[in-house]
Order: sequence, then structure tokens, then C-alpha cells
Amino acid sequence: MKTRPRFGLYALVILSVVISFLPIIWLILTSLKTTEGIYAWPPQYLPQPFTLKNYINIFTNSPELLLYVVNSFIVALGCTVLALSFGGMAGYALSRLGMRRAGVLMVLILAVSMFPPVSLLPSLFQNFLSLGLLNTYAGLIIAHTGLFLPFTVWMLASYFATLPAEIEEAARMDGMGVFRIFWSIVIPLSWPGFVATGLIVFIFSWNEFPLALVLMTQNAMRTAPVGISLYPGEYAFPWETISTATVLAIVPILVITAIFQKQIVGGLTAGAGK
Amino acid sequence: MTEVKLDRIGKSYGAVVAVQQFDLTIREGEFLVLLGPSGCGKSTTLRMIAGLESITRGDLLIGGQRMNDVDPKDRGVAMVFQNYALYPHKSVFDNMAMALKLQKVDAAEIRERVGRTAEMLGLTDYLDRKPAALSGGQRQRVAIGRAIVRTPSVFLFDEPLSNLDAKLRVKMRMELQELHARLGATSVYVTHDQVEAMTLADRIVIMNGGVVAQVGTPREVYDRPANEFVAGFVGSPAMNFLDLTRDDTGRWISDCGSLSLTALPVDVGARRQVRLGVRPEHIDVLEGGVPAAGDLSYQANVLLDELLGADALLSLGIGEVRLLARVGGLAHPVRGDTVAIQLNAAQLHLFDVETGAAIRS
Amino acid sequence: MTSITSPLDRRRHLTGIAFITPTMLVIIAILVYPILQSIMLSFGQSSIDGSEPYQFVGLKHYAALAQSERFWNSLWVTLLFTGLSIPLELAMGIGLAVLMNEHFKFKGIARLAVLFPWALPTALNTLMWRWMYNTDYGLFNAAALQSGLVDRPINWLGDETLAMGSMVVVAVWKTSSFMALIILAGLQSIPRDLYEAGRMDGMTRWQEFRVITLPLLKGPILVALIVRSMDALRTFELPFNLTDGGPVTATESLSLYAYKVIFDFIEFNYGAAIVVVQFLVIFAMSLLYILTLRNKD
Repeated sequence: MKTRPRFGLYALVILSVVISFLPIIWLILTSLKTTEGIYAWPPQYLPQPFTLKNYINIFTNSPELLLYVVNSFIVALGCTVLALSFGGMAGYALSRLGMRRAGVLMVLILAVSMFPPVSLLPSLFQNFLSLGLLNTYAGLIIAHTGLFLPFTVWMLASYFATLPAEIEEAARMDGMGVFRIFWSIVIPLSWPGFVATGLIVFIFSWNEFPLALVLMTQNAMRTAPVGISLYPGEYAFPWETISTATVLAIVPILVITAIFQKQIVGGLTAGAGK
Repeated sequence: MTEVKLDRIGKSYGAVVAVQQFDLTIREGEFLVLLGPSGCGKSTTLRMIAGLESITRGDLLIGGQRMNDVDPKDRGVAMVFQNYALYPHKSVFDNMAMALKLQKVDAAEIRERVGRTAEMLGLTDYLDRKPAALSGGQRQRVAIGRAIVRTPSVFLFDEPLSNLDAKLRVKMRMELQELHARLGATSVYVTHDQVEAMTLADRIVIMNGGVVAQVGTPREVYDRPANEFVAGFVGSPAMNFLDLTRDDTGRWISDCGSLSLTALPVDVGARRQVRLGVRPEHIDVLEGGVPAAGDLSYQANVLLDELLGADALLSLGIGEVRLLARVGGLAHPVRGDTVAIQLNAAQLHLFDVETGAAIRS
Repeated sequence: MTSITSPLDRRRHLTGIAFITPTMLVIIAILVYPILQSIMLSFGQSSIDGSEPYQFVGLKHYAALAQSERFWNSLWVTLLFTGLSIPLELAMGIGLAVLMNEHFKFKGIARLAVLFPWALPTALNTLMWRWMYNTDYGLFNAAALQSGLVDRPINWLGDETLAMGSMVVVAVWKTSSFMALIILAGLQSIPRDLYEAGRMDGMTRWQEFRVITLPLLKGPILVALIVRSMDALRTFELPFNLTDGGPVTATESLSLYAYKVIFDFIEFNYGAAIVVVQFLVIFAMSLLYILTLRNKD
């Protein structure tokens, strides 16, 4: 390989990294400043003095902000579990069980996934209202599951398609029923696919906004993105609180993304190959 | 010990016929080989017996019972797959024990049966390992062991040796023969390799394009091929074919005119065209370099020679006609030589130009 | 290979149906049924609590929609937003992908950096940017004023001409990384031999890019374009959290407008009409895209 001057390359890379991280870094810095520091002129770039007061405040005065994070977690987890279970079974049936018109169904599922969430809002709101599903974990979990099932089905179907069919046939010869084959052979062998898809769905659910906004009207039940952005209420933004809360809400996602970046990227790019 | 009967069995996918209806009775303890090129329908037929493909037409009887709608596990058959199809996340023991476990066989009995089979196949030391830790040949033995443990009435093999390298293939072939001699179970074996077919089979079913071309013992199929396809498919190197046309004087002449015969060994009726077939090993090189008197002896140029070891192959040219001959490897003629050859009259085959069927008197 | 000719096949088929049922039920309940309901709503007049019965009013709402300046504005805003952000995202995405395809140290950090903007909730992203855009205390104005570039604070979000641009920046920041990932996947599937052959022929790097890379990237680029433009047309939380559609309605996207009509003005039926129009636009585009994709295969 020719050696080329790497300075330009590194410069660009550093620039991209800085731009990507800039808002987050600024946010973290803001959360570590005192109120005076935030609104100071000339503007303070680095916190002087450095303070954890904002974080303490959240824990003592406004713990509901933490509740938002917990809500997000519950909903995202529930949605991921449901989506993987239902989506896994459907994906398997459509890719492996040789069903008639499986292809048509897959395309329909894809098409349906393109609906704008806002167009679902009026009816979903009314339906959930009359079914008593508003402001319940179950309600939003099911709603999110519906939103992300098409993606899950497609992703998992494509993972299943990479398994050699012979193994499933051998299992049939040995006497395994379809569900047993799915449970003891297919799932263990496509585990990475489940992990990648699950991570992505978790992130999707965590970040989802329109449905979470509309289906959880009680403050205590709100998910993190909704709760925090609606927090200010009547007065001007208390940026010290908001920035801190945002940092706290973002931390789980950052951690998950950092740990599982390989799987996530793998999942996304595999999905793109569809 | 079971007889398998295929009664006017056939398979279609919608309008496409994959296997044309045919009858076949596989005798108890017989080792039957389904032979043919890719796409000929041999695997489909095997899978119909297994239960992995549904039967569109006709009936399948195993041990006298109709099995068309019966689940694979209840048919008393076991299958060895081309790519072994072992469960990668389970140990060798678990792989072999799976079917028994599903039948709720008692654990002690499972251990005993798997142990015995493992010993038979030399796998006892590997029972705890996972397939990934085994060589190709070992994996194949596990696949075979998995089938044996189930003590099925019928063994099914789907090109099990294709993924092995040449030397291993020869070794495994012999092991399979030993196993068959030992267990004596009815076996149906699919392959595209005619050497495997010839060495393993009691009888061979040759298929082409979904149609059964011939059913017979290896000897029958080799010496008396029913049609051109079989003649050309079985035997390596392949049979030489030559088109002959009868001229006004009654002589038979090749299309290019270089080779002719006064009479054919078999009465071909009113035909004016035939296809002549002669196997490379049935072309002899005459001492002295001079063609004998009478038919079937010619002067030829050696265009190419290949030493195989014990034998040699010669590419011969008689005018425009090309023939491949197989001769002894010691002091064989080489490129550039001129030789006299004799075609063995008793070993000539004649085929109808249109149907490809063998013409026999 | 889908022939159902025997009880054997039928049994498997039925199991398959059982496997699919939960998924289909949820999808129908959450995605299909509500759309049909919205369509129904849009053709009628009803009250939220059902105290008055549903009355069919035909195309009344659609007519009103056609006359509504605010509606056309929101359509325009949405299209403008899409038209501005997609090309930029694509360009940056390709650039980033090409960058990431090279070998260098700390690739892990770089990949992470590219992944973060995508992984964060848009709503919170938007809050971060909103803070940076803040007229009085935001980072941008602070830096601009301090360095003397401008002598008055710039009203990033409150100025009619600037607001859309600011919004586009946020969108591009977030999704360039996504584009980059998809394109990177495409890049990595281009066989090395092609580049080596090109090098033997004496191609410059730019030629390599133009002759080998770009044509083979068409597939992934198309996929990325489709996915992103669908998203851009549906954009909601970005304007909601950044500007609330302001100043006035300069950044009010279709989704935002529909939301306001339904939940602020409490006009379910009129809102349903907007939503149906939006849905039709997107559905039509998605069908178009799917068909184009199928033809390409």
C-alpha cells in the first residue's frame, strides 16, 4: 500500500469526532456549572467553579426526572421482549416454513412500517382512551411493539435465512416439532441476530416521541424524552436542571451504545443490505 | 429389514414436473443408489421417502404401510445429509442421542446405544466434543452414527461423501460398505459420482431430468446401458460416440467420411442412421502397427497421450474422427505415433439417433 | 417451493400461521386499524367523547384543507426541510463513510462518535442544540460575540430565515452518521480486487472513486435515501422541541401541524384529514420506492 500523508485524514477524523461530541460535551459542561456560571457574561466555557449541585438537586428536589428514565426503561424493555418474541416467530415462519405468499406478506409488513406515527395518533388515542390503556405501561409497550415489529420481522428473517436449512431438516428427521426446532435450534444459532436487533429496538423505543407524548398524559408516567422536553412548563427553561436531567437520561443510551457498538453497527448494516 | 415400494410415485411443483411417475421396489437389505447429474430428481425422490418433500402422485410404502402423510419421525427412516447437518451447539453425544431423547427413551438405554454406535464408528473419544472441533471425516461419522443409533428400517444418504477430499472419500466408501455388510439395513443412497454408485450399489437407478433412465445392477448398467444417457454417464472416461449413416451401398459411414463399416453387429431394421458407442477400454492397439483385415480395424494418429499410472489414455484421430482409447501404461504409444487399432466387436453399442434408446437384437 | 398438496404440508402451514398470528394482530391493531379509522374520521364529524353520533360530511374537511394557507405552508415547510437536509446528509454521510473506511488508530472512538448522534433521542438532541442556539446564553452566540464576528446576538431560532437552517443543521448532525453507516456497509462490500485492478491501470484516487466506488454504491445510497426521506417527511419531534413550529409557522412541519390541530385545537376530524393526506403522500412515495427497489433486483 502506498503511504499517503495522513495529516489530512486525521484532521478530518478529529473534526468529525469533535462535531459529533460537541453538543453532548457542552451539555455535560453546562450541567456542571453553577446557575451564575451558566448565565454569565463573558460566557464561561469551562465550569468555574465546578459543581455537582445540579445533580444533587435533581435527586433531592425533582426526583420525577429520574422517574422518567425508569419509565423509559420499563417501556423499552417490555417492547424489546415482545417485539423479539413475536417478530422472531413471524420472521421464522415467513422465511423458513415455506408458506404460501410469504413474500407478499413481508412486503406488506414493510409498507405498513412506513406509516407516519402522527397519522396513527388520533385513532390510537381514542382507542386507548376507551380501552383504558392510556397512561399504562402495557398500553405504550404494545404501541411501541406495533411500531417496531416490521423492522424486527425483517431483520430476524434475514438472519434466519443465513442458517443452513439442512440442520432444521435433520431436526425434523429426529422428530422435533416446529416450535421445538425454533426454540432449541434456530434461536441459539441466531443469537447474535437477536442481540443486535434487540439492542436497536431498545434504542428505538427509548427514543420514540410522538406516541409516548400522546399516550402518556400523566407526568408521572412519561418517558424520558417526553418528560424532559415538557418539563419547563410555564416558565422559562431552567437550563441547569434540564441539562442535568438530559445528561442523566442520555447516560444509559451512551453506555449501551458504547458497550455494544459492534453489534449495533453490525445489525444496522445488515439491515441495510435488505 | 424392510421393503420400500415406490408405486407410481411422482413430484410436481405446480405445473413443473420434478420427478416423473415411476415404480420401484427396493428389496429388504438392498443398497440402492440413485445416480444422476444435478437437477435430475434423485434428491427429490430421496426426500419424498424421507418425508421432507410431500408426494404429489402415487404412493410410498415402507414395510407394506402407506407413508405418504406420515411425519418423517414416524416412518422408521434415518437420513445422513450432505453437509452433515450436525447441531453445532451440541456435543457429539447429544447430536447422536437427540432422536432417542425426543422419543423419551430412558437415559441409561440412550447411553448404551450411543456408546455402542460410537464404538462401531471409532468416535468414543469424541463424544464430549462439539462438531466444530472435529475433522470432516469425523463429522461425517457422527452424522452416520446419528442415523444408526435410531435403528431405522431404512437408511437414507444424500450425497454424504461429496464434501470430503478424494482420499477420504475412498476410505469412507469402504467403511460404508463394511457398515452395510454388518448392519444389513435397506439403504437408499443418492450421488452424482458414478464411481461411488458402481462400488456401493446392489442396484443403481439412473435418473436424468426427472425421468428414470435405467434400473439395474452395476454390471447390467455398465455392460448393457438402456440408452445413450446411461452409456455416456456411467464409465470413466466416458464412452466414445460416433454417428453413422448408411449409404446406398449399404456401408455405414461416419459423418466426416473418415471411418466406415460394412456391417453392424446388431440388426438395426430399416434405420439409415445410428449412433455407435464404444468404451475406451474396448479399443485395442495392435502390435505391428498394421490394421487387421475386415471391419473395425483402422489406422490412427495419436494426438495426445496421458499417463494415468497403470493405464494410459490416448486421444486418437482417424481422419476427422476422434476416439479416446485406454491402454496399458507400460510402453504406450505417444503423441505423434501412428498406430493400428481394433474395436472390440462384442463390446459395441448401438443407439437410436432420435430416442437414444439402445438397439438390441 | 410452496405446494400444499398433502396433510404433511398442511400441518406445517398451520403452524406457520400460528407463528404469524400474534405479530399480525399487533400490527393490525396498532398500524392498520388506526389508519383506517383516521380515514373514517376524516370523512365525518364527531365528538371525542362520543356524545354525538358520527355524521358523514364527505370531503368537507379536505376542501377546507385545500383552502387552508397554514396547511399549504406546513406542506411547503416539510418539503423544504426534506429537500435541504437530504442532500446534505448524503454528502456528509458519503464523506464520513469514506473516511471511516480507511485504516487508522482509534477507529473505535471514531465509530462511537459517529454512532452517538443516531443513538440519542431526537427530542433530547434537540434540547441540546436549542441550548446552544440560545440567543442570550447559547454557545454559538457566545463564541460569535466574543470573537467579534458579530456585534449583536444572532437569533438562530427566532429569525424566520434562520430558523429552518438551524433546524436542518440539527437534522444533518443527527442523521449523517446513519447515512454513513449504511454507506460504509456498501463500501466494505466492494471487492478489493477492483481497486487493485484500478491501481494496476493507473487510476488516481479520484478516478477510483468515480469509476469504481460510486456506481457500486448506488444500491446502499438508494436505500439510505429512501429511509431518510421517509423520516424527513414525517419529522415531528425536531420542530416540536426546537421551535414549536416557530417563528410563527416557519418551521411547522405537516406532522406538527396535524398534532396541533388534533391536540391543541381538539379538532379530531379536521386533524384526521391532514393526517390522511400526509399518509397518502408517504404511502405513495413508499410504494414508488419499493417498486423501484424491486425492479433494481
